[in-house]
Amino acid sequence: MINKSPLSPHLSIHKKVMTALFSIFHRISGIGLSLGTLLIVVWTAFLALGPKYFNFIMHYYTTNFIFKIIFFIWLTGIFYHLFNGIRYLYWSLGIGMDLKTVHLSGYIVLFLTFISTIFVWFVI
Amino acid sequence: MKNYVSNWLTQRFTAIILIPLTFWFVFQCLSFSEMNYSQIVLFFNSSLNSSLFLVMMVSMLLHSKIGCETILEDYVKSYKIKKISKLLIKTVSYFSIIIVIISIVILMDII
Repeated sequence: MINKSPLSPHLSIHKKVMTALFSIFHRISGIGLSLGTLLIVVWTAFLALGPKYFNFIMHYYTTNFIFKIIFFIWLTGIFYHLFNGIRYLYWSLGIGMDLKTVHLSGYIVLFLTFISTIFVWFVI
Repeated sequence: MKNYVSNWLTQRFTAIILIPLTFWFVFQCLSFSEMNYSQIVLFFNSSLNSSLFLVMMVSMLLHSKIGCETILEDYVKSYKIKKISKLLIKTVSYFSIIIVIISIVILMDII
């Protein structure tokens, strides 16, 4: 089978450009969030199954240290993907695409991600 | 592939829906962590909460389905692996949507 699909950029041979890094992290966080969504599906199903099942899974989610780390990374991923996604949404309309604005909005994404994660995790 | 345009539109449409619902759900999760089973069930007894949750989950699963397919399309060269992975993603996504719908229907009926 001859591959007719267009080539994606050869990531390893180029100098790392900010927009490319943001794009690849958008995809990595997207894959992570997809897996997270499945955790919510499991949570919902166990909730519907009854208190016995629900308490069993909540015990895992709340007492396991690994889950605490997962939840922190998850939260960071949610905010990064959300704020960076907003950027891609208005890029779809062709707005704010000159290099200066792109770099500025990139830093704003990082700032908002940091602030929101810290705020939700430590303050509330 | 013929549904590039509808995928592109669906990806953006679900993204817009997910922006407010994500904030809503993150804050709900914070209060869930202090609730017991019956309090959370009570939350889902409200048809407003249940509907918002359902819309969020369906949008999220469709959004992630299209996103994962796009990533596969870009990086996986083998036709066979691509086809199998796409089938897997499709199955898991639709299966999850069905599970969420059934769960919500059960939850709204409890009590």
